Amino acid sequence: MTAYIVRRLLATIPVMAIVALFVFFLLHLTPGDPAAVIAGDDASPADIEGIRRKLGLDRPIWEQFGVYVWNLLHGDLGTSIFSNMPVMTLVMQRLEPSVVLAIATLTVAVAFAIPLGVLAAWKADTAVDRVVMGFSVLGFAVPVFLVGYLLIYVFAIQLRWLPVQGYRPLANGVVDTLRSIALPAFALGMTYMALIARITRASMLEVLSEDYIRTARAKGVATPSVLLRHALKNAAIPIVTVIGIGFALLISGVVITETVFNIPGLGRLTVDAILKRDYPIIQGLIIIFAGVKVLVNLLIDISYTFFDPRIRQ
Amino acid sequence: MKSNVSTAATAPIATNGDTILSVQDLRTHFYTRDGVVRAVDGVTFDLARGETLCIVGESGCGKSVTALSILGLIPPKIGEIVSGSIRFDGTELTTESEREMRSIRGNRISMIFQEPMTSLNPVLTVGEQISESLRIHQRLDRRAAWDRAIEMLALVRIADPKRRAGEYPHQLSGGMRQRVMIAMALACNPQVLVADEPTTALDVTIQAQILNLMLELKDRLGTAIVLITHDLGVVAETAQRVIVMYAGRMVEEAPVRELLNNPKHPYTRGLIGSIPRRKSGGARGRTRGRLQEISGLVPSLREPIPGCAFAPRCSFATPRCITEQPPFEAHGPRHFAACWEVARIEATSSDQLVSSPT
Amino acid sequence: MASTTAGAAAATTPSSSKGALKWARRNKTIVGGSLILLTLVVIAILAPWLAGDPLQFEPTNRLKRPSETFWFGTDQFGRDVYSRVIYGTRISLIIGLCVAVLATAIGLVVGVLCGFYKTVDTILMRVMDGMMAIPAILLAIALITLMKASLLIVIVAITIPEIPRVARLVRSVVLSVRGRPYIEAAISSGTRNGRIMVRHILPNTVAPLIVQATYVCASAILTEAGLSFLGAGTPPEIPSWGNIISLGRTFFQISPWIIFFPGLCLAITVLAINLVGDGLRDTLDPRISRRM
Repeated sequence: MTAYIVRRLLATIPVMAIVALFVFFLLHLTPGDPAAVIAGDDASPADIEGIRRKLGLDRPIWEQFGVYVWNLLHGDLGTSIFSNMPVMTLVMQRLEPSVVLAIATLTVAVAFAIPLGVLAAWKADTAVDRVVMGFSVLGFAVPVFLVGYLLIYVFAIQLRWLPVQGYRPLANGVVDTLRSIALPAFALGMTYMALIARITRASMLEVLSEDYIRTARAKGVATPSVLLRHALKNAAIPIVTVIGIGFALLISGVVITETVFNIPGLGRLTVDAILKRDYPIIQGLIIIFAGVKVLVNLLIDISYTFFDPRIRQ
Repeated sequence: MKSNVSTAATAPIATNGDTILSVQDLRTHFYTRDGVVRAVDGVTFDLARGETLCIVGESGCGKSVTALSILGLIPPKIGEIVSGSIRFDGTELTTESEREMRSIRGNRISMIFQEPMTSLNPVLTVGEQISESLRIHQRLDRRAAWDRAIEMLALVRIADPKRRAGEYPHQLSGGMRQRVMIAMALACNPQVLVADEPTTALDVTIQAQILNLMLELKDRLGTAIVLITHDLGVVAETAQRVIVMYAGRMVEEAPVRELLNNPKHPYTRGLIGSIPRRKSGGARGRTRGRLQEISGLVPSLREPIPGCAFAPRCSFATPRCITEQPPFEAHGPRHFAACWEVARIEATSSDQLVSSPT
Repeated sequence: MASTTAGAAAATTPSSSKGALKWARRNKTIVGGSLILLTLVVIAILAPWLAGDPLQFEPTNRLKRPSETFWFGTDQFGRDVYSRVIYGTRISLIIGLCVAVLATAIGLVVGVLCGFYKTVDTILMRVMDGMMAIPAILLAIALITLMKASLLIVIVAITIPEIPRVARLVRSVVLSVRGRPYIEAAISSGTRNGRIMVRHILPNTVAPLIVQATYVCASAILTEAGLSFLGAGTPPEIPSWGNIISLGRTFFQISPWIIFFPGLCLAITVLAINLVGDGLRDTLDPRISRRM
């Protein structure tokens, strides 16, 4: 089991190396002069020269690369062109809302999707099943911002149950934080829920036709226990795999959701960076988001050993 | 639907006294896109306490569906018991609630399935799977159920049961898994054990061990067994009484010696002909218990069969066999068969029958 | 399942309307989705006749509610949201189609090369793994930040992150087909690789690729809307659905219609494409469909 984890851990190194390489060469291989594009249309040659120097584009490429890698290995993601602050510092300032949003979304999505998927599989080919599957097809199609604005309209503006926008930090009270994050988490979780519910149903249907489910029923095991104890654990691997795949969707969604709900997290940092064409920030965020994604996939690979004893050896 | 009530009426009544399970004119149908499949089409038998009854037939003849019907495990909406009765120790099972059926399943009637490889849950330990029925039916706590599970593993002669109880199915051999299945089925001391081809998926050497284990435990615990098999070798070694099924119907029933020595129905004769004789070692080429050697195909169960289901493959068939269903009636002490031509068949020696040409 | 598929396919070939009807009834999702898509294509083509000028400013008509004159209301510049949404259909469909074709074509080449040549495989697949670790929208944002915004750049930026998924799919198909005895025989008997690829391998990738292309198309349309919404997409002077929503954001509380109508169109379009995709997957590859 340790060997399995170590192997998975080692496999993440080349992936992250490729990400870093990719981000570096993106700046150097794009056609045209990135410094000029970043500076904007009405920049003076001096401005462009200044940006070129800040990005280190005036130095030989191998030297730039060396500095970049060296800095990365020391946790230095570069410096913002406009605020002159280290990207790492900017990221840390904006971390909390995004992490809270991601965890809340994950919790909401899993908590709703798995029961729905199990229900749909148990009641396969009935009205209940069709409603759940219809919801899942819709959930794929409706964009995050539409769900977001609809939720704001209904629950914040019409019903006044929850705040319209903004984020309350954890330090000022958890209840307020949860209230401020509830709508964003549901909006962002919609697609995710659809994805997980769908795979849960498919995986459960496959498992429910297995011989050992018949054995369990022949033992006199009641339906809830057949579904949860005997079937769900066997159906788990495709489900957690999709939770991992969906995490990428979630990261992309965080950027949009934070804009819809005016949450000062990493997503807003991204949007601000886009508007100012602050490439080092975007570069740093890509590495951080990719790192998170790789980490989540690693955790999911490790979780397989919990669900399937056959992988433990 | 009740086209052959007469068959049911002439069916044998309880053999000797103490009946634990009584199946009367059972009919189980499945609903497919192409129509209704009459998987079990009028099966009647009684099982005495502690008796071993074998049900024999080709795959698709309705033996497994009979077993699942007894346990109330026919998947709803796909199939159902359309008529007939199953009485277990004085209780009618066909009208019992799902809740009641659950308290009987795995407790008073247990089942062992064919594939030990796929019939055990791969993500639960063997001990968990055995102790589960004890916790459900005997309300034992976790600790007590686990200890009892280890005792059961020892009872089915698994070495080092303490360690094995904590292992997962994939860590066990096929034979060991089937022992676990037996331990699981017998954990609550059931009155009836339904074993559906329990040895088919196992190596020949292990088959005998598993059968002997079952018979030994049956004697020790007083369990009645319904053993479903397509293998007449298994029948000869285990059964007291045998039922032969064909196309969802019973074609013959007799005590095991009587059936093997004096088969009345041409189908039964075909079955016996296709296993190698014990005495003469000459019939080498024939494989053990493979029934496909009877020429022709099993009829489709989608259309009602007016006459004898075996008629299209039978060299004795007359026009009457095709139009009129033969009654299941006595042709000797405790010997029943459903055939119009028993007299003609008895006049022919069995050797002539087997090699029906194609 | 396989036999019913074959039956359904056979039923479509004869020109008898009865067979076609039967096929349509069995494939409701494909038929429904295609009808919606067809309508959208017609709307996109006929936009100049169906709608007024999407760019015309009418300062007197700012933020008007939906009415008989302005079916979908007006935005903060007094532009007709209905006209803008109709023209937006063009942008979304063009982007969806272009990205689907480009990503499928490039992914096909990469996938076939990876499936066929070991060294290419080890290098390219690492690159693909790395690219897949980067969230699609961020990769697109990075590309767009570094280049001057235009429709073409948006298409390229959305295409690049879609390539690895297609490549992986093709690669897995190629690897599975390559293992089949008749291909091994062809290879060992000296048939040229190019010939094997064209004759034996490409035909096997067609069905999964078509299905994948529909999903890429849907995802591209959503990504474009997301990018435009964030201000990193289609240049703001082009009336794409994402741009309309992005501009309407500020006035959402008083004029929700600016966001609602383009959002609804977006959802309907993506839904229609996904329905076609799901339907195709079920008919083309029943083996996969049972799993999903």
